[in-house]
Amino acid sequence: MGSEWFERRAVISGIGQSAIGRQIDRSGFQLTLDAILAAVGDAGLTLDDIDGLAMFPGGGKANLPGYANGNLYEIQDALRITTTWRQGQVEGMSLPFYGPAQAVATGQARHVVIWRTVKEGSAARNAGGRPAYGSVNPSAEGPLAWLLPVGALSPVCQVAPWAARYLHDYGVTREQLAWIPVTQRAHAALNPDAVYRTPLTVEDYLASRMISTPMCLYDCDVPADGSTAIVVSAAEAAADLRAPVAIEAMAGVIDGRPSWDQWEDFSRVGHATAAAMWNRTGLAPADVDVAQLYDGFTIEAVWWLEAMGFCKAGEAGAFVEGGTRIALGGELPLNTWGGQLSGGRLHAAFGHTAEAVRQLRGEAGARQVVGAEVAAVTNVGGYEAGAALLTRWRR
Amino acid sequence: MTSPGAPVGIPPAVTEETAAFWAAAAEGRLLVERCTGCGAESFPPYGMCRACRGRAVEAVEIRDRGRVYSFTVNHQRWLPGLEVPYALVLVEFPDHPGVRVFGRLRGCPPDAAAIGMAVEVGFEPGPGGYAVPSFVAVPNVPATGDPAVAPARGAA
Repeated sequence: MGSEWFERRAVISGIGQSAIGRQIDRSGFQLTLDAILAAVGDAGLTLDDIDGLAMFPGGGKANLPGYANGNLYEIQDALRITTTWRQGQVEGMSLPFYGPAQAVATGQARHVVIWRTVKEGSAARNAGGRPAYGSVNPSAEGPLAWLLPVGALSPVCQVAPWAARYLHDYGVTREQLAWIPVTQRAHAALNPDAVYRTPLTVEDYLASRMISTPMCLYDCDVPADGSTAIVVSAAEAAADLRAPVAIEAMAGVIDGRPSWDQWEDFSRVGHATAAAMWNRTGLAPADVDVAQLYDGFTIEAVWWLEAMGFCKAGEAGAFVEGGTRIALGGELPLNTWGGQLSGGRLHAAFGHTAEAVRQLRGEAGARQVVGAEVAAVTNVGGYEAGAALLTRWRR
Repeated sequence: MTSPGAPVGIPPAVTEETAAFWAAAAEGRLLVERCTGCGAESFPPYGMCRACRGRAVEAVEIRDRGRVYSFTVNHQRWLPGLEVPYALVLVEFPDHPGVRVFGRLRGCPPDAAAIGMAVEVGFEPGPGGYAVPSFVAVPNVPATGDPAVAPARGAA
């Protein structure tokens, strides 16, 4: 086991972010260019080194409300580069660096930039509230045909019955769930780029308005404006890079019915993915120093804690209660940038990946986990799940 | 959940596979696919049995009472004019193990929704002139606390 896995031939070499906030009054295109230029510089490269471009999402999903990636060809034209590999996709997006790692590991490109740009904060302002999922489309296609027409108009309505069932089956309480947004808010206070940084209490959480039971306001991530770019490079180019981070293992498995309503038990959406990832490494959950687990909703971070083996199924409520285990200084600091719940919905684990890279480089400032060697990163976009271990560069 | 005027929302994109479902919905009937080979039922309709992968399927109507696998009460007005709150339920049918259907809940206050409660099949006017699943609470039937979990993939 080990050196033959393709992800060992790829590294994350650069991260870059635009200004991030509830509303940033610049175009998505300009935010994208800001992030790409920052990421390429962070990698120790120049634009002329970049030969691959990717964005998430691509295709018809690129223009949902607040989705502001721009057009991949216009970005390439603006950057004035030559590319040998390009990708824009929804399916297969288990992690931001998954496709780019495949490209550089197989020699199709040497340095790939992938970006995700959101202006969902502005879109929410302009709509007078968070827009309905799919509201720009005339009709609901695919799995959404069974969800939007009945009134499950947002992902929160789609995940909420699974949260209710999970709380019911395991006796987990909302008082326990509260410790995830509360603890992450304390982390966000140490992140100058986080959207919300003022303290949050369990009482604030319990007093907040319901969105779709049992998910309240603070269970939902924060619509934001901002762009994140990540550079993925061939490991053999490491000598050219300022501060690469190794990809120890990654996987993305769909072993259930891929829809919100038909998946057999959605609390286990990440279990097969995590198991496949652990099969590609000699490391174990106890080796993880810091966890950046997708938190589009609080309940998704709960399920990832269990899927990744940090605790057993049904035990995440007790694991997070009181916050001591998941806080900085605890046994598993969780979403040290504030996560999407406080840091902003940068989406698709782009923010989570950027933070994991900072932590492993020792560049996380006031929120640095001392001696961080191994970081877990997970993503779940509905039923598209991904999990990875990133490690400090040693070769 | 009856509301005057056109219901606010996003209508389904109807395909060759789903046309029969939506046509029956307009008549208040819940159609699923049944495999003429192995007899397993599948939802949503794909023209392919999810148990044996057979391609010969027929439409059959489910009239049985269902059980609420789980639910949510939506309080957020996602679209202008959307009437809130309303309950949404994931419904399973004890005698139809391949079938789980998402819909609204009526016949009781939204806050009365509960895991395990009994519901009758029903529909109500939805967006775009389509009838959408709208299950009807059955009074005086105690909730079974632990309805069967959906079958594993490939199970009949």
